[in-house]
Amino acid sequence: MPAKYGLPSDPDYSLRLAEFEARIGRGEKIEPGDWMPEEYRRQLIRMISQHAHSEVVGMLPEGAWINRAPTLKRKMILIAKVQDEAGHGQYLYHAAETLGVSREAMLEALLSGKAKYSSIFNYPTLTWADIGTIGWLVDGAAIKNQTMLAAGSYGPYSRAMVRICAEEAFHHKQGKEMVLFYARGSEKQRQMAQDAINRWWWPALMMMGPHDADSPNSEVLTRWGIKTKSNDTVRQEFINEHAPEILDAGLQVPDPDLHQDDKGNWVHGPINWDEFWQVVGGNGPMNKERLEARRKAHDEGAWVRSALETYAAKLQKATVAV
Amino acid sequence: MDTQWPRWEVFKQDTPAKPHQAVGSVHAADPQHALLTARNIFARRPQAISMWVVRAEDIFSWTKEELAENPPPEAAKQTEPLAYGFQPLTFCVFRKTSHKRSMTFVDYVGEVSASSPEDALKQAQQQFGDVEALAWWIVPTDRLAKSDPGSETVESWFAPATDKTYKQQQYYATIGSHVSKHKLGRETDDEE
Ligand SMILES: [Fe+2]
Ligand SMILES: [Fe+2]
Repeated sequence: MPAKYGLPSDPDYSLRLAEFEARIGRGEKIEPGDWMPEEYRRQLIRMISQHAHSEVVGMLPEGAWINRAPTLKRKMILIAKVQDEAGHGQYLYHAAETLGVSREAMLEALLSGKAKYSSIFNYPTLTWADIGTIGWLVDGAAIKNQTMLAAGSYGPYSRAMVRICAEEAFHHKQGKEMVLFYARGSEKQRQMAQDAINRWWWPALMMMGPHDADSPNSEVLTRWGIKTKSNDTVRQEFINEHAPEILDAGLQVPDPDLHQDDKGNWVHGPINWDEFWQVVGGNGPMNKERLEARRKAHDEGAWVRSALETYAAKLQKATVAV
Repeated sequence: MDTQWPRWEVFKQDTPAKPHQAVGSVHAADPQHALLTARNIFARRPQAISMWVVRAEDIFSWTKEELAENPPPEAAKQTEPLAYGFQPLTFCVFRKTSHKRSMTFVDYVGEVSASSPEDALKQAQQQFGDVEALAWWIVPTDRLAKSDPGSETVESWFAPATDKTYKQQQYYATIGSHVSKHKLGRETDDEE
């Protein structure tokens, strides 16, 4: 069987690479079984597994508020949202598995602290207003990014993104509805909403990653259609939608430099990248707690896994005996 | 050390008029566990009436590129007369025909009976060759585990989501100012 994952040292590499890039140029999807550069595969595994981990860890800040939701309706909405995020993690692990990496290896990397996930989930959820704000801003930022990724060249990743985007729209809207409701509410509710926006706005802007000039992988990711828009482009789309909506609601955007340029784009002030790299490097406010919570959940689920295995083994025996 | 449960590919049918479509995979210890997990992961919203699962290792798959490069060897012809006990096997055929943006992969197109997976592919290419296939999946029919088609099961597995309208974005459609108000002169939307 010919190697599916091409290395630059292969005799036919440049020929195959040209065919591969032509396929992407024609808008074809690359599917498992097709030839691809090893570097394409490596970049995809890195991105998809980080993305999967983000969905899984992303359940924690919101999950913490399920039993404190103020009404039954809000509780049902939050449970459904957190459940969706679990599903998103599963869709994405599946997509990564099609590239020949095992789910167990990915989970192991997460639990051991080796794997990265979106730094946004290392911030704490201090009040109920954070739940609405996460839906509106964090899921809002995620949608912009995921919509871009849905147009990507790798079939399984693109399909997972399309499925996820359809569900994210619900996450975004329920959050926006909640924040706008608070913005119209009592003085105390308005304060809560504003406080949450103050704390989540900048981390949400950081979700798109470093500026294009500081984004070393971008060139190859764009050429191979893994990313179809740059970090700064996606960030601009996010701000252009959300900044005016926050202002319309009578709330403030915590950026004194924010202004509209003559093209109508909302221009943000300097982003604190030191903070970003601190959190990515494991020193965010909640990094430790998040990993501990994941490990605890994994360990406490051990008896369920063992019971299922025992049952499956019994079934197997029964089938063989028949 | 690989201790993980086997991987099962999942096919979901949205409505009676639609085929089962490959939506992704789950890990599970046995077929029932796979079906339940598949239901929890891929049918949290209303659009489902039936699900099939099959172990990933029981799927024979070919992409267009693989077939062009490496045509499968001429299927070994079954020469033994049927009277000597040879029974052709039944295979389910799944096919992908479009590069368009989608949340599903291959669609179920029908069954063939054949002497081997390669033979099944050959027959599939003849029988379902009306449109160019970008990928084929061939699955021995007896390896598929299916959700119970009885109305009670369909009701209890798939219907509960239909009245959870708050899981749909339309439920929130009327709030706030519409996004389009804030859209700038961007290039045409490619979401549809
Ligand atoms: Fe998500
Ligand atoms: Fe979400």
